[in-house]
Amino acid sequence: MKNVTIYTTPTCVYCKRTKAFFGEHNVAYTEKNVASDSAAREEMIKKSEQMGVPVIDIDGTIVVGFDQPKLAELLDIKA
Amino acid sequence: MDELHDLVIIGSGAAGLAAGIYAGRYGMKVLVLGGEFGGETAKAGNIENYPGFASVDGYELMDAMKKQSEALGIRLVDAKVTAISREGHCFTLEANGKTYNANAVLFAIGAERRRLGLPNEKELTGKGVHYCVTCDGPVYGGKTIAMVGGGDASVKGVNLAAEYVQKIFLIVRGKEVIAEPINFERMKKLGDKVEVLLETSVKEIVGTQKLEKLILSKPYKGSSELVVDGLFVEIGASPQVELAKSLGVELDESGYVKTDNLMRTNVDGVFAAGDVTNHFGRFKQDITAAAQGAVAATSAYEDHKVHGDLCVLHARPVGTSLHV
Repeated sequence: MKNVTIYTTPTCVYCKRTKAFFGEHNVAYTEKNVASDSAAREEMIKKSEQMGVPVIDIDGTIVVGFDQPKLAELLDIKA
Repeated sequence: MDELHDLVIIGSGAAGLAAGIYAGRYGMKVLVLGGEFGGETAKAGNIENYPGFASVDGYELMDAMKKQSEALGIRLVDAKVTAISREGHCFTLEANGKTYNANAVLFAIGAERRRLGLPNEKELTGKGVHYCVTCDGPVYGGKTIAMVGGGDASVKGVNLAAEYVQKIFLIVRGKEVIAEPINFERMKKLGDKVEVLLETSVKEIVGTQKLEKLILSKPYKGSSELVVDGLFVEIGASPQVELAKSLGVELDESGYVKTDNLMRTNVDGVFAAGDVTNHFGRFKQDITAAAQGAVAATSAYEDHKVHGDLCVLHARPVGTSLHV
């Protein structure tokens, strides 16, 4: 199973869409709220070199934003 | 080749999904091709003026509309339409490498957020420059940000970001802020946390790896340089009309899709609703978009009763199998 971490804010629609996508495909993930967790925020910025959410870390590969085709490819999800 | 639909709705925001619900209840075979689920409503944050909900998150509202649509048998596909053509009363759409067919088309495609159009803006997007305050505003906890725009969306953005950031400069090109009074009053209550810079615009975005400062058109405290950690752009949106134009749909003088009071365009079988039209002028709300969607779906249904079989007659050579 791949190790998936998603960095989010509570009001971010793309974060919600990404989590919904994970839910539809039974992808287990760890969520880090960067609005309330400053260490997670710094971690996200360091990993992605930017400040937009969501940021998804899949076994060390970083995806910025709800890039469904890219996520599907990295998670071996068939259309 | 996909099956033939009575109606394809392009866009899955408030207009598109409301249209889907109405068309579904009329018994039409409907496909919604939504490039970005939920449209502007999903990004709006907390909504307090949609009847029936004292307070609802925009995404949750759109998700409820989606579930209501699906319960009526409406098919939703996450796909961006890239081409559309028409032969008589039959439409062919291309989206994500697939072909879809329909007797009628409803443009509920919305509008695309405007950029400032400044050098460096694209390079620093996500690195200090942002277009979704509900998404990225909370990332700036304890920081200083600027919000550009003098309308209700920017004031709502200020109010949301104020929960997290230390200081906000609201940069307004005009002489005043034009916002819903309830939102404006909330902003006023934030006191010194918010400073409104009227008759001011951003001339330059300065930074290399990340945003460092802005150059303003008018000095603030004796300097045209304003050091901020983040810049949020809320200066309205431009209607997405290219697909409609390719069908010969007429636009109004402001560049929006022109409709009559029943949301019909000048092209037979083509309807429009929501922010792609200027039906209610500057008053673009979830409730007006949903209402237009309902009217457009009703017009499509009336049209379907008259022309429902024409697509088959127009577009299919004799002997071609139909998956209907």
